[in-house]
Amino acid sequence: MLEVKIKKTFPGFKLTVAFAINQEILSLVGPSGSGKSLTLQCISGLMNPDEGYLQVNGKVLLDTAAGINVPPQKRKVGYVFQNYALFPHLTVFENIAFGLAAWERRKVVARVAYLLEKMRLSDYKDRYPHQLSGGQQQRVALARALAPEPEILLLDEPFSALDTQVRGELEREILALHQFYRGHIIFVSHNLDEAYRLGSQIAVYEAGQILQLGYKKKLINAPANQTVAKLTGTRNLVEGIIRNINGAKAEVMVPAWQEKLQVNMLHPEKYYPNQKVIIGIRPEYIRISNCFPESVSRPNGPGNRSIQAIHESPAQLLAAQVVEAVDGVTSYTYRLRLKNGSAQEFHLEADVSKLTAPWIPAGKTCYLHLPSERVFLITP
Amino acid sequence: MPEMDLVPVWISLKTAALSTVITFFLGCAAARWLAGYQGKAKSLLDGLFTLPLVLPPTVLGFGLLLLFGKNGPLGKLLLKLGTTVIFSWWATVIAAVVVAFPLMYRTARGAFEQIEPNIENAARTLGASEWDIFWRVTLPLAWPGIMAGIILSFARSLGEFGATLMIAGNIPGRTQTIPLAIYFAVAAGDNDRALAWVAIIMLISMLSILALNYWQRYGKNYANH
Repeated sequence: MLEVKIKKTFPGFKLTVAFAINQEILSLVGPSGSGKSLTLQCISGLMNPDEGYLQVNGKVLLDTAAGINVPPQKRKVGYVFQNYALFPHLTVFENIAFGLAAWERRKVVARVAYLLEKMRLSDYKDRYPHQLSGGQQQRVALARALAPEPEILLLDEPFSALDTQVRGELEREILALHQFYRGHIIFVSHNLDEAYRLGSQIAVYEAGQILQLGYKKKLINAPANQTVAKLTGTRNLVEGIIRNINGAKAEVMVPAWQEKLQVNMLHPEKYYPNQKVIIGIRPEYIRISNCFPESVSRPNGPGNRSIQAIHESPAQLLAAQVVEAVDGVTSYTYRLRLKNGSAQEFHLEADVSKLTAPWIPAGKTCYLHLPSERVFLITP
Repeated sequence: MPEMDLVPVWISLKTAALSTVITFFLGCAAARWLAGYQGKAKSLLDGLFTLPLVLPPTVLGFGLLLLFGKNGPLGKLLLKLGTTVIFSWWATVIAAVVVAFPLMYRTARGAFEQIEPNIENAARTLGASEWDIFWRVTLPLAWPGIMAGIILSFARSLGEFGATLMIAGNIPGRTQTIPLAIYFAVAAGDNDRALAWVAIIMLISMLSILALNYWQRYGKNYANH
């Protein structure tokens, strides 16, 4: 169990966070300058919070009220810095062994050899950091932090300086860590995908506060408020009014679109008819077609692709015009104006896989399907 | 070639060597302390530590005389302990330390500031004490800069004249260093002797500068990696 409570004030910035985790990976996400790295510094003891409480596996490391402040040297915290911060004058072996100064020589050799093998660095043990690639340097940093068997492992944007391929490899490395390292891991990232893949829980930071903390699936599917929804990648958020409720299904009127939507509610107890709500859908979950689907009695022209799922709920089909179309590597990004919608530049953004969606140039008409199980509600 | 009494060479080297050792510790300590000091007097202290570099050595000598003289605060203290430093060999060392200190302090500070703070922070989270960090991380990384400071301090100590004359005097065999020997040889009209001293001190100084260049070119400079 790791319990963290921190308050730290700077001119123009205030960090106030509290959370607890249990031998799992907690991902901290949020814009830069929101206090993620500062949280790690306070946990490691490199920075002293104004007020705080920190407890790991029953040992109190910091309790400002009781005047306890264990120095960073004695906290047993492994810290992997963004730019590695390896000791440039020491070899890979010496870097990893740095934290084992008090150990018996025989044990040091065994421990370092074990980590070298785990991190696939055995061939590089006599090299200096500047003779290694970025990914290798990061693995040394990880091995060095793990060597003294820390109870907490802090990873501060460990992939930010690496290219995409190496990133993926290191990500797997960190996931595999859990098989031989039984400790609490806190991982800072500004990449949501990365944070989601690695963490079991996610904390969304903004301006020195945790807006929402929770298990990742729940957090992504049911963001607590609009800011969390935006920070976790839901670019489509619009005001609506609940018209009808039928079990877990709600019919929501969206005035700006002049359309009604079916929504599956995760928490039906929170909603009632005529309630004002915000509805959200991630751009990746919108389906798009360049013709009206067959089942709703329009002919399917050559080269046209319709939306299969429409059969289930034809009411969810919205007519729209493409305002902007961007061709990506594996997906198309569209900005869309609904036919009956208010006078806005665009109403929705869609990121659709090339596997399922056609290319529709700007100006053309299309039909959108918002799957009712992918649309979520937020109380404003 | 005049008959040379080489004692001034020995006094000069002894003085410069001891002064360099003392300056090394004082300069590093001051640089390290000021790097971590965040108070309001930071630039004032920095100015104070650098001042001996720009003040005329006679001003420094006069200041030291006031400090270590019979009525000076340190002089009185030493007198109580039954000793005095004015006009002793120790005075040559004190004068050399004061004039060389800013060079060591400034180069050390520059070298320390080039070290990425997270490298020292990493050492902290790995359990190393501040003392350990200084010897195992900071000093090795700052070494090229520190070495430059050491050689500059040595050269400056070796060449010190004004402050030395004021607090150590010119006592042959005790406080007469090479620069003093040159001055008094010229004053006595013995140009040959003065030239011989000049040759010797130029040789020693050149060797120091060559050593410095060698270090900067071939010494391992980790800070750039």
